[in-house]
Amino acid sequence: MTTLLRVDSLVKHFAIRRGMFGRTSGHVHAVDGVSFDVDAGETLALVGESGCGKSTTGRLVLRLLEPTSGSVHFQGRDLASLDGDALRKLRGALTVIFQDPFASLNPRMTVAQTLDEPLALHGLAEGRRRERVAEILRLVGLAPEHARRYPHEFSGGQRQRVGIARALAVEPRLIVCDEPVSALDVSIQAQVVNLLRDLQSQFGLSYIFIAHDLAVVKFIATRVAVMYLGQIVEFAGKEALFAAPRHPYTHALLSAIPVPDPGRRRGRAILEGDVPNPAAPPSGCRFRTRCPHARALCSEETPPLAGEDGHAVACHFWREIAPPAALAGTATTPRNRRLEALQAAFRAASA
Amino acid sequence: MTALLDVRDLRTTFATDDGEFAAVDGVSFTLEAGRTLGLVGESGCGKSVTSLSIMGLVAKPPGRVEGQILFDGADLLRMSVGELRELRGNRLSMIFQEPMTSLNPAFTIGEQINEAILRHRRTSRAEARALTIAMLERVRIPSPAQRYDDYPHRLSGGMRQRVMIAMALALSPRLLIADEPTTALDVTIQAQILELMRMLREEMDTAIILITHDLGVIAEVADDVAVMYAGRIVERAPVHALFAQPQHPYTIGLLGSIPQLHLQQARLAAIEGQVPTAMSPVRGCRFHPRCPFAVDQCREASPPLADVAPDHAAACWRAPLPWQ
Repeated sequence: MTTLLRVDSLVKHFAIRRGMFGRTSGHVHAVDGVSFDVDAGETLALVGESGCGKSTTGRLVLRLLEPTSGSVHFQGRDLASLDGDALRKLRGALTVIFQDPFASLNPRMTVAQTLDEPLALHGLAEGRRRERVAEILRLVGLAPEHARRYPHEFSGGQRQRVGIARALAVEPRLIVCDEPVSALDVSIQAQVVNLLRDLQSQFGLSYIFIAHDLAVVKFIATRVAVMYLGQIVEFAGKEALFAAPRHPYTHALLSAIPVPDPGRRRGRAILEGDVPNPAAPPSGCRFRTRCPHARALCSEETPPLAGEDGHAVACHFWREIAPPAALAGTATTPRNRRLEALQAAFRAASA
Repeated sequence: MTALLDVRDLRTTFATDDGEFAAVDGVSFTLEAGRTLGLVGESGCGKSVTSLSIMGLVAKPPGRVEGQILFDGADLLRMSVGELRELRGNRLSMIFQEPMTSLNPAFTIGEQINEAILRHRRTSRAEARALTIAMLERVRIPSPAQRYDDYPHRLSGGMRQRVMIAMALALSPRLLIADEPTTALDVTIQAQILELMRMLREEMDTAIILITHDLGVIAEVADDVAVMYAGRIVERAPVHALFAQPQHPYTIGLLGSIPQLHLQQARLAAIEGQVPTAMSPVRGCRFHPRCPFAVDQCREASPPLADVAPDHAAACWRAPLPWQ
């Protein structure tokens, strides 16, 4: 596997300004020492709740924000050292899909114009741009006729397809997908998730998939980083993370997801309280204020993100903490053969 | 046992530039005291308009509400504005998705709950205050006496939703309509709120209509489920039967569309196409353009909601679907 992207000790603090002179009264620790890498052809998922820093991390990777410290290397080059032409060139290989396609598409440009602009900018498909636009539209499951339409003429799912088409136009290697399906209805969400997987295998794309929905992540990710208050608390391959989660926050996240199976209603590990204020994070382990297993050490010492076998966890006591009973046997729901047979008809229709 | 709520052939239409659009088109269901009915469907299926129609909150014009909504035997659609106002916030209550837009930013949370109590009960201010604080405690707001004087912006999203629930339940309503009450919340906070709703329901014997797009939430909380599509109920069943033996192709496809933690899924069974809109109405069964089981009959006539099994109804010409 070749490493496409390497993120090292990334930190982003936002100043809180007060009063008419904009005096800095503190800092929001949005991202606080995040490191990971992304291999060619894989999907790295960043998951966590509001304010965990996953979207800020995505923006730092794209260099839409400048980091306070730390570095991002893409294809071996330090992003911070690039500017002007070099940066523009890079934006071809490294691109983004946003959550809300309506807010991220220009309402006064037709789809053809939206897709033509990046082609022109990057000097792609010279002399046959019109054909290329039609080709890209077909790739994302739209028709070439759609090129003449404006964003408001599309449904939410189709608009997200246009967003994906725009990202694909520049022939990227890595796409940062920031909650790409969160705003979509479930039946449409499934179409878009399937499409992202198909495009990945077709073009060998890498994704950084930012999401709060662990079930979607389980479906699409290769590896998963769970974030809490600006830091990665657990990092593992998908199979390992879902089969044997180690961090108590991951346990809580997993057991909080409502399971669409009324036979599995269960007693679950419900976290007390809210996420603490990121301007004044707790000392030591940041999760300790909500952690049912916290002890004295947790407030004194920050647990490092460490672990062998590619499964890292930032918890002093993870070896002693068993996942809640409700999580055990997550893979043992009896199969419903009638339902599977009937759903196969939907799969056949969409293939 | 007579039903607490009996909705008969509800039809809510809106006048648009292109003619009349039926957001809810012939919806009937009943709900008994203490039960929870999950109303599930995607954007535009009519689930929220159904609840607004029950609450008498559809703006008329451009809206028009027809049919019958019998609450404790009295038709809400025949009531005067004054009679409705007497019911709302008292015996009939509602919570919305976004608590920040439903709370008044200019008043403390305590004053807002107080106002509802004083409007409907003959009590002193001191008694109302005591009831408010007891209610805040009941929805697990820490140090409720201090929180009483907080403005909404001082609270987190989860806390605000707790305040909304406290307000909605302060007068022990017979029926609570909860419209996507946890959709704007993070999952760990959602789990707290769902747990709270379950607990309060047992204590108060309130009937609940829970509106959501999330089948996971339905499975956790509902006793019975009505699945809506394009303004109609397409399937109705007790929750266990709906998930184990779904009958309508839309329900089957919806269940296949959601990624599930405890299943190995190679590919999601996405439903192709999109929901019909006011601009592109569909003849016959409204789901037929997206249905892999559709036959000629489906394109010609709209199927009625009919029993497929005891207590389990589906609006599908082809139900029960052959599968072996």
